[in-house]
Amino acid sequence: MTEALLEARDLTKYYPVTKGLLQRTIGWVRAIDGVSFSVEQGKTLSLVGESGAGKTTTARAVLLLEKLTSGLLFFEGKDIYQFSPSQLKALYRPRVQAVQQNPWSSMNPRMRVRDIVGEPLAVNTKQTKKQIRDRVEQLLAQVGLRPDHAESYPHEFSGGQRQRIAVARALALNPSLVVLDEPVSALDVSIRAQIMNLLKDLQVQNNLSYLVIAHNLATVRYMAHTVAIMYLGQIVEYGQAEELFQQPLHPYTRALISASLLILPEDEEKGKQQIILTGEMPSPLNPPSGCRFHTRCAEAQEECSKVIPEIKVIGTHWVKCLHYN
Amino acid sequence: MSEIVLRVENLRTSFFTRRGEVKAVDGVSFYVRESETFGLVGESACGKSVTALSILRLLPEPAGRIIGGKVILEGINLLDISKKAMRAFRGKKVSMILQDPMTSLNPVYTIGDQIAESVRLHQGLPDNMVQPEVISALRLLRIPAPEMRLRDYPFQLSGGMRQRVVGAIAMSCHPRLLIADEPTTALDATIQAQYIALFQEVQKKTQVAIIFITHDFGVVGKMCHRVGVMYAGKIVETAPTRVLFQAPRHPYTIALINSVPRLDRKDERLYSIEGQPPSLMNLPPGCRFFPRCSVSETVCREQEPPEVKVGDEHLVSCWKVK
Amino acid sequence: MLSVVADTVTNPSPKTSGPPRKGRFFKNIWFFIPAIVLTLLVLTAIFAPLLAPYDPIKVSMREKLLPPFFMEGGTTKHLLGTDKLGRDILSRAIFGARISLSVSLIVIAITASIGTVLGISAGYLGGRTEAFLMRVTDVSMAFPGLLLAMLLSVSIGPGFWTVILALSILGWAPYARLIRGEALRVRGSDFVAQARVNGASPMRIMLKHVFPNVLNPLIVVMTLAVGFIILAEAAMSYLGIGVPPPEPSWGSMVADGRSEIDRAWWISLFPGIAIGLVVLSGNFLGDWIRDKLDPRLRQV
Repeated sequence: MTEALLEARDLTKYYPVTKGLLQRTIGWVRAIDGVSFSVEQGKTLSLVGESGAGKTTTARAVLLLEKLTSGLLFFEGKDIYQFSPSQLKALYRPRVQAVQQNPWSSMNPRMRVRDIVGEPLAVNTKQTKKQIRDRVEQLLAQVGLRPDHAESYPHEFSGGQRQRIAVARALALNPSLVVLDEPVSALDVSIRAQIMNLLKDLQVQNNLSYLVIAHNLATVRYMAHTVAIMYLGQIVEYGQAEELFQQPLHPYTRALISASLLILPEDEEKGKQQIILTGEMPSPLNPPSGCRFHTRCAEAQEECSKVIPEIKVIGTHWVKCLHYN
Repeated sequence: MSEIVLRVENLRTSFFTRRGEVKAVDGVSFYVRESETFGLVGESACGKSVTALSILRLLPEPAGRIIGGKVILEGINLLDISKKAMRAFRGKKVSMILQDPMTSLNPVYTIGDQIAESVRLHQGLPDNMVQPEVISALRLLRIPAPEMRLRDYPFQLSGGMRQRVVGAIAMSCHPRLLIADEPTTALDATIQAQYIALFQEVQKKTQVAIIFITHDFGVVGKMCHRVGVMYAGKIVETAPTRVLFQAPRHPYTIALINSVPRLDRKDERLYSIEGQPPSLMNLPPGCRFFPRCSVSETVCREQEPPEVKVGDEHLVSCWKVK
Repeated sequence: MLSVVADTVTNPSPKTSGPPRKGRFFKNIWFFIPAIVLTLLVLTAIFAPLLAPYDPIKVSMREKLLPPFFMEGGTTKHLLGTDKLGRDILSRAIFGARISLSVSLIVIAITASIGTVLGISAGYLGGRTEAFLMRVTDVSMAFPGLLLAMLLSVSIGPGFWTVILALSILGWAPYARLIRGEALRVRGSDFVAQARVNGASPMRIMLKHVFPNVLNPLIVVMTLAVGFIILAEAAMSYLGIGVPPPEPSWGSMVADGRSEIDRAWWISLFPGIAIGLVVLSGNFLGDWIRDKLDPRLRQV
């Protein structure tokens, strides 16, 4: 087993819900509630779930854009919450970079590509203008763009090209971990494959670790080594991608896979049935008791609303569901 | 076979911008039958939404103009009738669902009022008959406790429910044709599955013909009976859904299907189509896909390929397909 | 719906030629005309002593209330007529440009700078900084400006710098309000999050990312302020707390002419036209500058 590059333990983020003039706290939105995972060197972990599952909050916590209510983050075995601001700036931030979902808003429209891609270098290193320029050209080449693209502004590029620029920026500091928040979902179908292939190539070339946030299971299956399925702020199933997709254990995972499979109308007439969940994800302000999924689960029994499921390890992966106790 | 509800023939729509003419839709032909869902699939700016707007004559004027073709609904060419007659058609015979349920509902009216408005406008019912129509529309879209929901405002509903209300408005006047422009794109996977199942049910009950616009092949497979694949303003291949997935003929369709990762198997490497779609302002003279095509030859560069029939309801525009 | 069009338009092929000639001419007309007008006005202000046919404060009761030359009774000696003290309107308008233009430019420079710095700080830093700065802004906006101007005038005496101080001391508040809102918007954008991920300092983010993206509304408000300040200066002159007479400013000329408007409209009209010209040219030039500073619009 390879060493974990990043380990998250029991990440929890509650947002207060306030009311009235005095901002009295009347409740807490449990955006994430006890999320643990680890990202291995050179591998991809994917957090999968629908909107409101807490995957973006988790990613923002890893990027230190969000202060956690509780939980620990270990980077190369070191507790980063013990780091001083200068240690963070030297040892953590440059090594954990990000590519965001929307390539139309993730770049300052008034900066040239040269300055966008070079910004991490300008902020974190003492390189000269010339060194930065050379490095930017080298990075653009790595992501399949031309050196003269450096002089253009973001609006002159298509979505796919912009996402390449975003990748180049994320790689500028030779990071160990890149957080990819829905890296292809804003792109056209024919461009997605280009970007996914590029990301996979760069991972191998630079021994990068990826934390991928995604809602599209097929994308995840293509990209990820390890998968965590999230529902309402918690991970409900976690394990090696191949095993998880071939033998999904949690009823929610099965429903999600069924909803994402390619099924033709004729298949349905022949009785190949999809699992269609009833209802929608409950509010994280008042998560259901017991198993949080029981309100939508077709297999729910009485105890599901009362007992909180524990982690149950089956094969190389684990699940939180009372059926496996 | 059931009756053809809508027939679009050689539709051409352009946008006239300061930089020149953008040929957004350039000779598109297809038809939809009763109880049938016809999918228009393609990437952004391929002209699929403009096709829909042209059918409804809702193009942003004066930049957008239909410059040729026919849109025939129940024997009437919608491009010939007056604006007033067209308004009567819209909502009554043809209605539309847009992608974003947040912006297609007016936040200051209750959903009951919004459906009632459409019912009143198109059916001319007396006031006491409106309410039952509204409730039956909500029921058709399986909105729970419709009598209670009437008084809700859009912000009180979840995204999935809101999209159902939009559907109820569209179906409230029993249209013959429904145009749905990416109605599921903003929804989560499990909600999307609910919505598609719901629409299949609505279609069975009402025999409505649906034009379903999407970029998502997964949704196409579940929802559509026949599909037209659009590229740079043209339909390059039309086929029944099963045929399209199992025996696609146009290189673009083949490449597109191969470039989408599959959930039911592990792909080691995706096929990727290099380059980008051409600018609609400077189209190449020959086949539009030629610059990105892996099997192209000289003729593809010089002449536009004709549409060839290669099977039952299967049409392809490619020089390499005989 | 329009995104379809937008997409095709934002992805031009490199071969796309520029707009047709006629379009280019019409585009630049909105730069050249206002630029020429403003340059001429500024030159007029600088070289006023050389250009003005008369001393602007020389009283000549024999020649009072002469109409412009094209009217009956007008004379080419006083092209634009004279006021009720017989002073030459043209000369006064030429000299008036000095006070009116310099007051408005200096006040705008001061207020816009203060307001932008405070607005960006409040909007980006948030928290207590924001709460404090915004309360100060609210108080400034609620404070009666004229009262303050009078107090200043009484305590340090009327004059050019008193006018500037009086207009600046409260004038930054609307900028701060506006810029704070814009900064809040930019703070939430993905590229700011990205800069934070890169470890960029708040100062760098405010300068490199927030400031360039609040420029559009800033320029619009600055150009709209030109007219407002010229008129505010006039109001102050009218109340006797402006730049003291007989030194002319456009504002005070308009104010002077008010009592004579039914029989000697030219006293107010010509400085009024000058104010209008500045305001209009400023607005057009502002639009043009805004477009030029925005790379998304620059190439079109």
